[in-house]
Amino acid sequence: MGIHDLSKVIGDNASHAVKETEMKNLFGRKVAIDASMSIYQFLIAVRSEGSNLTNAEGETTSHLSGIFYRTIRMVNNGVKPVYVFDGKPPTLKSGELAKRTERRKEAQSKLEAATEEGVQADMEKFTRRLVKVTPEHNRQCQELLDLMGIPYIVAPCEAEAQCAELVKAGKVFATATEDMDALTFGTSVLLRHMTFSEARKMPIQQFELKKVLEGLDLSQDEFIDLCILLGCDYCDKIGGIGRVRAYSLIKEHHSIEAILEAIKKEKKKYTVPDDWKFAEARELFKNPEVAPAKDIDLKWNIPDVDKLVDFMCNKHGFEEGRIRRGAEKLVKARSTSTQGRLDSFFKVLPGGAPKKRKSSENKAGAKKGKGGKVKGKGRK
Amino acid sequence: MFEARMAQAALLKKVLEAVKDLVTDANWDCTSAGISLQAMDSSHVSLVSLLMRKDGFDMYRCDRPISLGINIASMTKIMKCANNNDAVTLRAEDEGDTVVFTFESADQEKVSEFEMKLMDIDSEHLGIPEREHTATVKMPASEFHGICRDLSTIGETVQVSVTKEGVQFTASGDTGKGTITLRNNSSVDEESQQVVITMQEELSLSFALRYLNFFTKATALADSVTLSMTADLPLVVEYRIEDTGYIRYFLAPKIDDDDDEDNN
Repeated sequence: MGIHDLSKVIGDNASHAVKETEMKNLFGRKVAIDASMSIYQFLIAVRSEGSNLTNAEGETTSHLSGIFYRTIRMVNNGVKPVYVFDGKPPTLKSGELAKRTERRKEAQSKLEAATEEGVQADMEKFTRRLVKVTPEHNRQCQELLDLMGIPYIVAPCEAEAQCAELVKAGKVFATATEDMDALTFGTSVLLRHMTFSEARKMPIQQFELKKVLEGLDLSQDEFIDLCILLGCDYCDKIGGIGRVRAYSLIKEHHSIEAILEAIKKEKKKYTVPDDWKFAEARELFKNPEVAPAKDIDLKWNIPDVDKLVDFMCNKHGFEEGRIRRGAEKLVKARSTSTQGRLDSFFKVLPGGAPKKRKSSENKAGAKKGKGGKVKGKGRK
Repeated sequence: MFEARMAQAALLKKVLEAVKDLVTDANWDCTSAGISLQAMDSSHVSLVSLLMRKDGFDMYRCDRPISLGINIASMTKIMKCANNNDAVTLRAEDEGDTVVFTFESADQEKVSEFEMKLMDIDSEHLGIPEREHTATVKMPASEFHGICRDLSTIGETVQVSVTKEGVQFTASGDTGKGTITLRNNSSVDEESQQVVITMQEELSLSFALRYLNFFTKATALADSVTLSMTADLPLVVEYRIEDTGYIRYFLAPKIDDDDDEDNN
C-alpha cells in the first residue's frame, strides 16, 4: 500500500515537513478523505470480541459505524469532510492487486488451518487479513453519507489522485489518508490518522509537500522517481535498493533513466525487473485520471434525521438513542456559525524561522535515522 | 550580544501575563530597534503581536538581530522570582543557547540571576498589512474587561455592532440574552475614561468571547483599549504600553455558514 518507507525517508531527511497536531486545530478546514482506505480500516478495527459488528441478517455493519461516528467526530471539531471513493483501478495496478489476492488466499488457507487447531489469536489475525471492501460496502456508505448531508465523490480512478486534484485546486485544505502516495500525486497537505478512533489518542500527522521537497532538496519529478524506486503500487522496483540507496541515487542522478544507465555496470548488485514499467507509473503519478476540480461542487447539507434513523436502526440494527444523539450533533454543527481562521486572512511570510536554523539543521542531519517527529526541546 | 535593562520588573510581568494564556512558546525577536514578538494560538484563530521599542528600556543593546525561543510558562516562573520594583536585565550571547535574567532590588542589596535554556521554535510569521479600519472604538481598558467577563456568563459569542448611536455588545445563550451599550462620551475630562467611536459605516461582527477574555489579560498594561473593525476581517484589539510600544491582538471573526465560497 502506498509508497514503501516514504515516511521514514521524510522522517530522516525532512523532519520539519511533518507536524503533529490535534483534530481540533483543523476546525474550519475542508478535508478530502480517502474513503476506501477508511472503510477498510473500519472493517478491520471496528469489532467487538474479534468479529465485525453485524445487523439482524448477519451483514457486516462495522463500516457504517465507522463512517457515522468518525464523521461526527470530525464535524464536531469543525472539520468539513468530503469522502472520495476509488473508481476502477488503473491497469498498472493489476500486478499489485494480483499480489493482494494471492495474499488473501494464503491467509484463507492459514485461517482454515488455525481454525482446525483452534488457535484463537491466529484465527483473529487471519480473519483480519481476509477483509476486503466490497462494492456493497461502498454503496451503503454512500447512502449513509447522503443521509448525513456529507458530500462524496466517486473518482474515475484512484481516490488519492482525486483528493490531490481537489487540494491542488484549493477546493479542500488537505487529503486525509494513510497512503503516502497522496504526496506523490501532488497533494500539498497530507493528514494521517484522521479517521482513527478518538480512544487511541493518536495525534494527527500533517505532511506538507512543499517542505518535504525542500527538505529532500528534490523537484516534484525527482520526488516521483524516488517514490517509484522506493516501491509503489504500480510497478515493481529494482531489487537491492533500499530507502537510503534510493535517496542517494536520486540525489546523484536525478532521474530513473540516469540511474539505470549508471548501475548498468553493477548488474550483480541490482536486479532491474524485465520490461520495467517505471515510465508508465511516472506518467500515472503525474497525470492521473481525475475529474477536474472545477466541475466538482461540494455541498454540506442538513442531515435527514428520520431517514438516517430508519437506515441505521431499522435496517442495520444500531441503537436509536445513540444515532439520534449523533444526528443532533450534525444538525447543531451545521447551524452554528463557524470560527474563522486567522491564517486565511493573513499570509504566512516565507522563511518561517530565520537564521539560527542553520546550526541546528546540521545537528538534525547528524542524528539521522531517528525519524525526528517534532521539534526537539532545548537547543542541544 | 543582546542586553536590555528595564527599571521595573512589573512591566515584563504584565506583558507575560498578557501573552501566556494564548501561546506556550514564542520567539522574542530582538533587533537594534527593540523587541518584538508575534505568535498565533495553537488553533490559529488569534494572534498576539508585541512591540517594545528600545526607548522603553533604561539600557538597550543589540549588536545583531537575534531571536530568543522562549517557553512562556518557564519565563513566567522565573519572572515570579522578581519583585515588582526590581530592575531586570536580559542578556543573551549571539551564538548562545541561553538567556540570563538578572534582578536587582531597588536598594541594590540583593541580586538574583537566572539562566534559562532557549528553544528552537518553528513558528509561522504572518504578514499583517497596516490598514484603515471602518470602525474604531476606544474605551477604558477596565470597561472592556468587564464587558467581556459579564457577557461570557451568558454565551460563547459576542456580537459587536457599531452604529451612530454607539457600540453594542450582545451575547445570547441557552439561559437568555445580554446587551451592553456604550455611547460616545468624548467630552469626559479624563482621557482614560473616554469612549470614542469613529466609524465610516455601520457594521456588526461576531467573535468568540473565549479569546477576548485572553486578550483582556493585558488590561493592567494600559488605561484604555482600542478595538478596530472592518466587515469580514479580523478584529484588532490594541493596548498601548506607555513610552514603550504596544500589544496588539488579532481575532478572526465567526463566519455565518450559509454557503461557503471561502477560505480554506
